[in-house]
Amino acid sequence: MIYPLIKGLATTLKHCVSKPITLQYPEEKRQVYPRFRGHPELQVDEDGRLKCVACTLCMTVCPSRAITKITPAEGPNHEKYPAEFVIDLTRCIFCGFCQEACPKGAIALNNKYELAQYDKRVLIYDLEKLRAKA
Amino acid sequence: MINLTIDGKALQVKKGKTILEAALENGIHIPHLCYHPAIKAIGSCRICVVEVKPGPPRPQPACTTPVAEGMEVITQSERLQDLRRELVKFILVNHPLDCPWCDKAGECLLQDLTHELGIDVVDYEAVKVPPHIDYESRLIERYATRCVTCGRCVRVCRDRVGASAINFENRGYFTELGCGHVPLECEFCGTCIDICPVGALINKLFKYTARSWELTKTKTVCPYCGGGCNYEVHTKNGRIHRVRSQGSLLLCGRGRFGFGVVEAPERLHQPLIKKDGQLVEAPWDEALDYAARGLKEVIDNAGPEALYGIGSPRATNEANYLFQKFIRAGLGHNNLDSPARYNFARALAGIAAVFGTAQVSGVALESVKKGVYQSPWEVQEEAKGSGFPFVLGNTQHLSHADVILVIGADVTPEMPTYGWRIMDALKNENFRLVVANPRKTKFDRYANLKLRYQPGSERLLLIGLMEAVLEAQPGYTPHLEAAGFEDFKKTLLKTSDNATAVADLFLLIGQTCNKGSALYPIAEKNNSRGVCDVGVMPNYLPGYQSLAEDGGAFAKLWGKPVSEKPGVTLGEMLDQLENNEPEAPRALYVLGGDLVRLLPNRARTERLLQKVRFMVVQDAFLTDTARLADVVLPVAIHAELEGTYTSTDGRLGCLQAALSPNGTRPDWQIITELSQRLGYPMKYGSATAIFAEMAQLMPIWAGIREGHRWPHKKISVSLQGKFVPFPTEISIPGEGKYTLIVGKTLAHSGSYTTHAHGSQTIMPGAALKINPADAQVLKVQEGEPVKISSNQGEITVPIAMTVELPRGVVFLADHFSDTPANLLTSNSNLCRVQLQKG
Ligand code: SF4
Ligand code: SF4
Ligand code: SF4
Ligand code: SF4
Ligand code: SF4
Ligand code: FES
Repeated sequence: MIYPLIKGLATTLKHCVSKPITLQYPEEKRQVYPRFRGHPELQVDEDGRLKCVACTLCMTVCPSRAITKITPAEGPNHEKYPAEFVIDLTRCIFCGFCQEACPKGAIALNNKYELAQYDKRVLIYDLEKLRAKA
Repeated sequence: MINLTIDGKALQVKKGKTILEAALENGIHIPHLCYHPAIKAIGSCRICVVEVKPGPPRPQPACTTPVAEGMEVITQSERLQDLRRELVKFILVNHPLDCPWCDKAGECLLQDLTHELGIDVVDYEAVKVPPHIDYESRLIERYATRCVTCGRCVRVCRDRVGASAINFENRGYFTELGCGHVPLECEFCGTCIDICPVGALINKLFKYTARSWELTKTKTVCPYCGGGCNYEVHTKNGRIHRVRSQGSLLLCGRGRFGFGVVEAPERLHQPLIKKDGQLVEAPWDEALDYAARGLKEVIDNAGPEALYGIGSPRATNEANYLFQKFIRAGLGHNNLDSPARYNFARALAGIAAVFGTAQVSGVALESVKKGVYQSPWEVQEEAKGSGFPFVLGNTQHLSHADVILVIGADVTPEMPTYGWRIMDALKNENFRLVVANPRKTKFDRYANLKLRYQPGSERLLLIGLMEAVLEAQPGYTPHLEAAGFEDFKKTLLKTSDNATAVADLFLLIGQTCNKGSALYPIAEKNNSRGVCDVGVMPNYLPGYQSLAEDGGAFAKLWGKPVSEKPGVTLGEMLDQLENNEPEAPRALYVLGGDLVRLLPNRARTERLLQKVRFMVVQDAFLTDTARLADVVLPVAIHAELEGTYTSTDGRLGCLQAALSPNGTRPDWQIITELSQRLGYPMKYGSATAIFAEMAQLMPIWAGIREGHRWPHKKISVSLQGKFVPFPTEISIPGEGKYTLIVGKTLAHSGSYTTHAHGSQTIMPGAALKINPADAQVLKVQEGEPVKISSNQGEITVPIAMTVELPRGVVFLADHFSDTPANLLTSNSNLCRVQLQKG
């Protein structure tokens, strides 16, 4: 009769001293797996230049029309680059198709998942906000 | 007909076709690369190989092997695919991985082939070829690295365009497309860009602006010359990015690179009205009310005849039809004309003098409702026609001619469509080309006989030709039924214009029973023919119907009687103004066309237009004529329009709108608004409704529909002509040592394309073309200015030396507003001038 009670208490006591599972979010952040799909970002090369050549394949493949604008332009050495690049993260479904379609490895999903905002407009990312931090 | 099987499918095809053509016609796909239907096949890439039985054991190129009776063709087999795969790999050895930024991606044949043949690695290696890229040439960039040396561009430029501007340099593996290590200097037609199967030739106006799959394609008609080329405008986000002709791919540079007119910053988007001597912007309603009030005042004071109407060879058939309806039915007179009076209408009048007016019988109004842009008149078995429209040629038949005589025209700039057909005709070895021109022109290169005459002396040359015909064959009689032949023979030597003389010559030698035997006048503007066809003429109702006899049908439909009294021509109207005659108009309604810029003797036109009390101008730009107006109403143009144009050979081209008019309005809507305010309401829902009414009133258009020409081919023609004598004296106005020819160039269409970035890149400004020996006498160097003075005025322009011109003759293009050539002329495009180092 008493034995089950002691067993239960033991479990309780054991958990009292073990490491807690609950994270103290937002003070503590959840570590995600490297392949976790966060929001898309524009990659840069060693010199800090955008890798994107404005081929618009990501925009073409995006199933939710989240990539709303890529304005191509010609650089001084006749290279093609995006003068404007806009992704509407409120539409993005984090599918990673853009990353897969990109022939230059210029767009990739990061691990960020904190995207809640009071104002949706903040989630419309332009070129500067999309540029991956080195 | 030949019977053969392709992949087991039994087919019947015409003799002389190749296996590839037979397959493509029947929806069987054979991979190919160097073949294009617009040019002759040369069988160089070998990707189209097929197995043929009976035949040699090795595979044969489908694009050059003609079909034969009982042939069995296999297009797909392991062996063939292997061969094709290896061939494409050879091409890929040195091909850059540019697809992400190559404009051809998505419509690239090499991409398609690589995909179709499943090539994922290229297991060959070869020395690298230096990447030669030409960024410098105007409008066209060349990427030798992407070239697959198919030779399509070389062939189309040489055989169809006739420019031979590009060719291969070096040999074998190092073969490269080039033009002699200098930037490209050519006609800039851009045909090579579109025929290139890969992205080796890039349109600079299109470069990097859009990807091929993002474009919306809308079929419409080129708004520049009377060639009436159908093309597609490719738009994205409400902007045109390129235009392209499906099928033959041929367009001239104006058509291909001139679309920037639509977006020109100088375009008007708001109506302008005159306030205190200044043109100021006003909302549409206010401007229309103001225009109506001004016109009404003149009509009330001086009668409706005091309002003269000037139609436009640029506007659609519908707008011009409605315009003449407004003048004829709304105002009840025939005082209207168009600037085509100075060129196309003059040619028609000359031809009509010899071959008579247009007549057609045996066509019946169909009761069943026809589709849009189709004539409700049906051509019946017994349909007959006569008169001048039946001697006007079908452009497509020009290539069947045995002899082409070009008189005075610089064919390619003035009418590129004729030029392409002459190139086609040259493939026939019995064909002979005679080019008569005071200047050396492009077709001199291909001519069997070149005739150089003094400017303005066309008629003497024509008399000489006619005499030669008569002398060479005593007892010669014309093939056509011709009246007055004996008299004409006698007076030929002793004896109002060039068109009559050409028509006489045609009456003498023409054989209209043969394909291509016809007269081919040049229509300078896109709708020069249409504006005449739909009755913007003081002496004809739409369809060249007589004012005196055919007015009944019009009166019935319009609900107003049609005056039988012919109006005055544009020239006569200006004379009336000059002489302050009481009949001189007090108000002008100008549907477009910059009279000040385009009519000879600019100063006079300007002075006379200022005499008019009230002037309403509809135009897309604030032209020199519009500046004199009291109201300027901005119109929709180019890809903003719906309606129809008629090409120089009578073919109906249908426009579709691809862009929003952006504040402007189509001409026809403005006309209905004004007409409504002046008490003659005309209500139409769309351009098609206007077309339906117009076509119903024009039996001569029987059978016309999109892409088809009038007169209809089923109408049996009975042609008679009568020889009309013409004066032979030639006089060129003015004094001076030099004869100035004012003319057209290939880069521009009137002043219109000077607003287009692309066309301005090809030709940014005017230069006086002059023989180097003359330049030496004047002591001016290439590019230095000279002062040209005639007894009308003077302008200063830089010179460009060329042996195209004989000594004593100079040439100036009339497109540019800063060097208005018509400041010098007095009654034609010829005048005598003095030159002086400027
Ligand atoms: S992750 Fe998917 S939805 Fe988001 S931008 Fe890329 S393709 Fe579009
Ligand atoms: S030519 Fe074709 S294959 Fe070559 S880079 Fe351009 S799109 Fe790619
Ligand atoms: S633009 Fe026309 S003329 Fe010039 S190279 Fe190309 S095809 Fe020849
Ligand atoms: S430039 Fe284009 S069309 Fe010309 S040879 Fe090269 S691949 Fe062929
Ligand atoms: S300007 Fe004339 S020839 Fe050139 S594309 Fe237009 S219609 Fe054709
Ligand atoms: S397409 Fe036949 S050989 Fe090139």
